[in-house]
Amino acid sequence: MTDTAATAPAAARGRSRLRRGARLAQYAGFLPALVLFGAFFALPLGLIVAYSFWETIDYNVVHHWTFDNYRYFFSVSTYIHTMWATVWVSVIATALTIGLAFPFTYWLVRYVRRGALQRLLLVLVILPFWTSYLLRVYSWLNILGDGGAINRFLQWTHLTDHPLSFFLYDRPAVILVLVYLYFPFAVLTLYASLERFDWDQFKAAMDLGATPRTAITRILLPQIRPGITTAVIFVFIPILGEYLAPQLVGGQRGVMIGNLIVNFFTGAQYTRGAAAALLIAALIVVLLVLFRRSLEVEDAYRA
Amino acid sequence: MREFEVVSPRARLVRILLGSWAVVIYIFLFAPILTLVLFSFNANTYGTFPFTGWTMHWYGQVFHDYQIKDALFTTLRISAEVTAIATFVGTAAAFPLVRSRLPFRSGIRIGMTLPIMIPGLLIGVSLLVLLTDVFHLQLSEQTAVIGQSVYTTPFVVLLVAARLQGFDPALERAASDLGANTYRRLRYVVLPLIMPAIFAGALFAFTLSLDEFIITLFLIGANNTLPIYIYTQVKFGITPEVNALATLLLGASLVLIAVAFALPLVVRRARRLVRA
Repeated sequence: MTDTAATAPAAARGRSRLRRGARLAQYAGFLPALVLFGAFFALPLGLIVAYSFWETIDYNVVHHWTFDNYRYFFSVSTYIHTMWATVWVSVIATALTIGLAFPFTYWLVRYVRRGALQRLLLVLVILPFWTSYLLRVYSWLNILGDGGAINRFLQWTHLTDHPLSFFLYDRPAVILVLVYLYFPFAVLTLYASLERFDWDQFKAAMDLGATPRTAITRILLPQIRPGITTAVIFVFIPILGEYLAPQLVGGQRGVMIGNLIVNFFTGAQYTRGAAAALLIAALIVVLLVLFRRSLEVEDAYRA
Repeated sequence: MREFEVVSPRARLVRILLGSWAVVIYIFLFAPILTLVLFSFNANTYGTFPFTGWTMHWYGQVFHDYQIKDALFTTLRISAEVTAIATFVGTAAAFPLVRSRLPFRSGIRIGMTLPIMIPGLLIGVSLLVLLTDVFHLQLSEQTAVIGQSVYTTPFVVLLVAARLQGFDPALERAASDLGANTYRRLRYVVLPLIMPAIFAGALFAFTLSLDEFIITLFLIGANNTLPIYIYTQVKFGITPEVNALATLLLGASLVLIAVAFALPLVVRRARRLVRA
């Protein structure tokens, strides 16, 4: 942003030379994006909102405005239970992800010399993020499953003589895989803010007698709080709508709200599914609005 | 801070602890993937432990499976279309985003990144409802292309916008002073400079499309892409053939992404060499 400010007078001179048509033409680039995101992103999401307030009669959607879909959702105790479980799983997985990522990123920024090595180590962390999401979930089956690495190891060492199934098909497995999936995301966001931190301030605090712990809690953490918030939000939101991880490693006990939504839609219960989807969407919108000030979206454009 | 003139025993301990933590993290990140790769060469027919010997048998099966071949071609067709759409739409949108004096610019920026931020599940089901229930379209490769384009375009926008942001406006003014019109400025000054970013954006879009699962699951209908094919197989448990296919797909993604990451650096270095 600073360089645009510096060249503003020059840009203004250039603009005054532009004709009126050219001035409009500068927005022309938005046109394709407007069509794509308008017709195939905003419109369908709006439609989901409408569907959630309509009713299904004999497998046909009727445009009667009603709260029935929501009332139905909150009348089934399994659904309410699943919703709370989803929120809890998301909170725990997010906390673990950030908790694991912070010491790592701190090490990367502070103890690895800036330059090619640091960049390489960062890229190594982000690399899995660009590979197939499905395969990253699937790869855990090889480790956690009945015939997976852990069970085979336990049998080999005679700690147990039959495969233990508690590694798979329950919430802990889901949380583990979720942490694995979103860890690169957290590191990338934390790195962006730690990397910009002025370590001389840290040094100054220590010279003035602060212990490392005080320096971290009083100097470092307050300054990188926006980065932490961004990381939390960016990890929490996709986890809320998670479908595949609970589907593959969660089993009956690991069901999340995403699985409910899919069941509704594949069962052609569009209006009920829409209501469940909107509950997630509403939660996301609330989070984004609450934290919009501290979100560093601009960072993504600079990265 | 980075030189560590004074090293107390305690500081050394912290350093060792954090360093070991980093090692644990890298093991955590790569162990599942490496296990998968290892098992794809395992002679054991269950695709898991114990490791009974090396074989290329499963790769041979992958190359002779006509279902996989079909899924591969479907995937490539879809990815090619998605890449073309995302690159064009994303690049076009990056220009006004960076250069025009827009009202609500930061709002529009957040809006443009929304398709990445919200769960893909929501994009999938909402498009499913729109396309089948309102437009009464048959689900096909084309509907999957639409869904994937919505998801991949923001990545191109981000990459190209970042490059445009660091673009020296003096270059364009110089071209303008020398008599270049808008088209020539774009063709001979701007595009060559942002080409690495556009190309990287296209590669990212292609890779993401290749691997995309959740949106495609809802919109592909009766067809199979490779991830969808793997998913249908995985539901019945681990098979060594899927491990081999997965390894090939992982390898392809890694190569593409490595190129996308390295490309801007290589171009920059090459330019510096030419100038020197």
